[in-house]
Amino acid sequence: MPARHVRPWSRVYGLGSIYAKTMRDSRLSFIVMAGLLGGVMFVVGAAIPQVFASSSAREDIVRMAHDLGSVAAGVAGKPVNVGTLGGYISWKYGPVFLIIASLWSILALSSTLAGEAQRGSLEFVAVSPFGKRRIAFEKLAAHLTVMTLVLVIMAFAGWLTAALFGKLPEDAIPPQAAVGFALWIGLVALVFGGLALVLSPFIGRGPAAGIAGAALFAGWILNGYAATVPAFRIPADLTPWAWTNNHVPLGGEYDWGSLAFTAVIAIVLLAVGLEAFVRRDLGASMSIRTPNTPRALRGLGGPLSRSFSERLPVAISWAIGLGIFGLAMAGASRSLADSFGNSPDLQKTFDTIFPNFNVATAGGLLQLLISLAFIVVGFAASTLVSGWASDESSGRLEMLLSTPLARSRWAISSGLGVYGAIVVMTVIMAVAIGIGAMSAGSDAITPMVGTTTLGLYAAALAGVGFAVGGWRTSVAAESVALLVVVMYLIDLIVPALQLPDWIHQLALTAHLGQPMVGVWDPAGVVACIALAAGGLLIGGWGMRSRDVAR
Amino acid sequence: MVAIIETEKLTKSYGSHRGIVDVDLVVEQGEVFGFLGPNGAGKTTTIRVLLDLIRPTSGKASVFGIETTVDPVAIHRRIGYLPGEFTLYDRMTGGDTLEYFANLRGGVDLAYQASLIERFDLDPSRKFKEYSKGNKQKVGLVAALQHKPDLLVLDEPTAGLDPLVQQTFFAVLREAVGEGRTVFLSSHVLSEAEKSCDRVAIIREGRIVMVDRVDALRDLAAHQVELRFVGPVQAAEFEKIPGVTGVVAEDHVLRMHVTGPIAPVVKAAARFELADFVSREPSLEETFLAQYTEPAR
Repeated sequence: MPARHVRPWSRVYGLGSIYAKTMRDSRLSFIVMAGLLGGVMFVVGAAIPQVFASSSAREDIVRMAHDLGSVAAGVAGKPVNVGTLGGYISWKYGPVFLIIASLWSILALSSTLAGEAQRGSLEFVAVSPFGKRRIAFEKLAAHLTVMTLVLVIMAFAGWLTAALFGKLPEDAIPPQAAVGFALWIGLVALVFGGLALVLSPFIGRGPAAGIAGAALFAGWILNGYAATVPAFRIPADLTPWAWTNNHVPLGGEYDWGSLAFTAVIAIVLLAVGLEAFVRRDLGASMSIRTPNTPRALRGLGGPLSRSFSERLPVAISWAIGLGIFGLAMAGASRSLADSFGNSPDLQKTFDTIFPNFNVATAGGLLQLLISLAFIVVGFAASTLVSGWASDESSGRLEMLLSTPLARSRWAISSGLGVYGAIVVMTVIMAVAIGIGAMSAGSDAITPMVGTTTLGLYAAALAGVGFAVGGWRTSVAAESVALLVVVMYLIDLIVPALQLPDWIHQLALTAHLGQPMVGVWDPAGVVACIALAAGGLLIGGWGMRSRDVAR
Repeated sequence: MVAIIETEKLTKSYGSHRGIVDVDLVVEQGEVFGFLGPNGAGKTTTIRVLLDLIRPTSGKASVFGIETTVDPVAIHRRIGYLPGEFTLYDRMTGGDTLEYFANLRGGVDLAYQASLIERFDLDPSRKFKEYSKGNKQKVGLVAALQHKPDLLVLDEPTAGLDPLVQQTFFAVLREAVGEGRTVFLSSHVLSEAEKSCDRVAIIREGRIVMVDRVDALRDLAAHQVELRFVGPVQAAEFEKIPGVTGVVAEDHVLRMHVTGPIAPVVKAAARFELADFVSREPSLEETFLAQYTEPAR
């Protein structure tokens, strides 16, 4: 075989090898993940010592962590030294870090081989003079490299933020704790990513990612509620959530043995995944038969029904996830509110942090807890807009517009289809929250009606996406996601850092009232409706006057 | 004849990238018009301007006498379009996809739709993502043909089709033209354009370099002539004939290219004892290639 001569610039641009090309392809996900994991670690690390500045405030937090009702405690991390900065981060945000990293690993490892094989691009690589094993190994090595870099940044951010902003001596996060936390995140993420890698050559990218994602969330819930529901213990023990339950390094509790076991499982899964890719036919996967969609939901009548039908599965998926969250929050609200009612000091602390929420009532507490759902609903809106935009980015729009369908009619009708999907998502969430509230013996109707705010917020964000899409659909979903993150950060940082209130008022979420207790802010409602309707009209107008992309 | 497509100095620029420049075309009712050019010459850009998917930088285009930017929907009502590259809804079956496009248009004869599905040997029960490239192309073709449009705009329509289905496709085209409908067909497969088109235009680097009937275009290219004589012959006798180039003498055989009338060559050959005379008509491909071997203006 002739020697390969690779020009230096090719190497710099990531065209020198499969490993380098995969690294090059991962640069956007590296930026996003480093920004997300490192950025969130830095922001919360900076904010927490400001909010809980005194020893008495920390004692209140410890009390709250232990007084939490079992339902809410199940979705938080294990409370170990929550009075310290590291312990609090680990308890409140640990599962969030782990879920984000695991989803990234699942998506990356299910697509790097199987996704590319299904698209056909891998065939070009597979006929180059390398074996399939080497191709798979180089691609996997690239993912491991990028993940390591991201986790190093996150660990450094944790150590640095404690050094810069820590108020109390016990706030320090030693390097060993930061590294232990990063290893926990990385190894557990690789177990779920490895599961996706194993499954993807057999069942294809989407189903593999779906099963691994379901395992991730099921493990979280099962492990969280195993203490309350004994039947959950056995399935929970099959997941890395349970294996690493006693490893809380930011809280000062280490279980290196559990990490070693998790590492072995991750290595085995990755090795099996590589071998499965090597032995299976390239791009071949078993077809999983799904029930036929009822004719009424097939969306064959026009662009509105088609868009609704296309977006419905995504909307229902988000609704189920959010519904479970809402059910848990609503179900826990009564017991939590009672805890606050019995602990004046704790209530005083929360009144200081969240002056607008009456946490002593079930509705007030539910309003506080459900505020977290805004970011998730925002991302749901982003994915729905992404689906709407795919008509153009995939090239379908070219065929659709060759029919007697005006561009603005396509934009508006298919946008209305997205709003229809948001309505379905909102109704499912409302029902789940209503059931949770009823199970807790609280008023169900008020929070169910209040859930409309989540739908309005999602519709407003989608409207912004449509308006951007009227100019360029390729950045519509990204614009929505960026807006969600910006609003979330404004909500998180401005009160915590006691920045001027006008900055907080820039966020739409600051104008949505407290509908879970029946307090509506008409200005926010009008703003949401105006953004939804106006964005759609602007999108339709923008589509009229520009070239259709291919 | 009625002009179905008419463009006047049609230009589309993509910033620093060339699109099309001063394209003048007239496509008449009932003809199959071939639009030829290599990859990147501007065929798809021209088609997308005609359909108002992109807007001209200058110049104008009309279809059915309607300016494309004024009332594109009225144009779309009467056309069938197959893009060169397309994707449709992965999770929908071929049958549902065709039904959806039929609903968007209205007035589709379901019996005709079924006959097309049968003739193209398409299984409409499979999901779009499960189809091979050729079967996806069949779905696109049926979607473009099923409403019997007055104008068919087809961008590389035979890509991915097997020879049998290609035959069916050309038969369907002939039927459409027989009913007075018009076909605008972009291709770089010259043999299929030669076989199916009445007229062709050749586009090169965004500009139309030639528009004519297929047989007239063929005449523009040099005939390859081979003369076999009984005895030796002077090549110089032939080199001085206007239109004769590339004369090569080999023993008693002379080979040459002849552009234009061939009679002077026949007269000159008659002065010698001629054993054989072979003249091969140029193919459209040779005409096409001849256009592309000359430097651009």
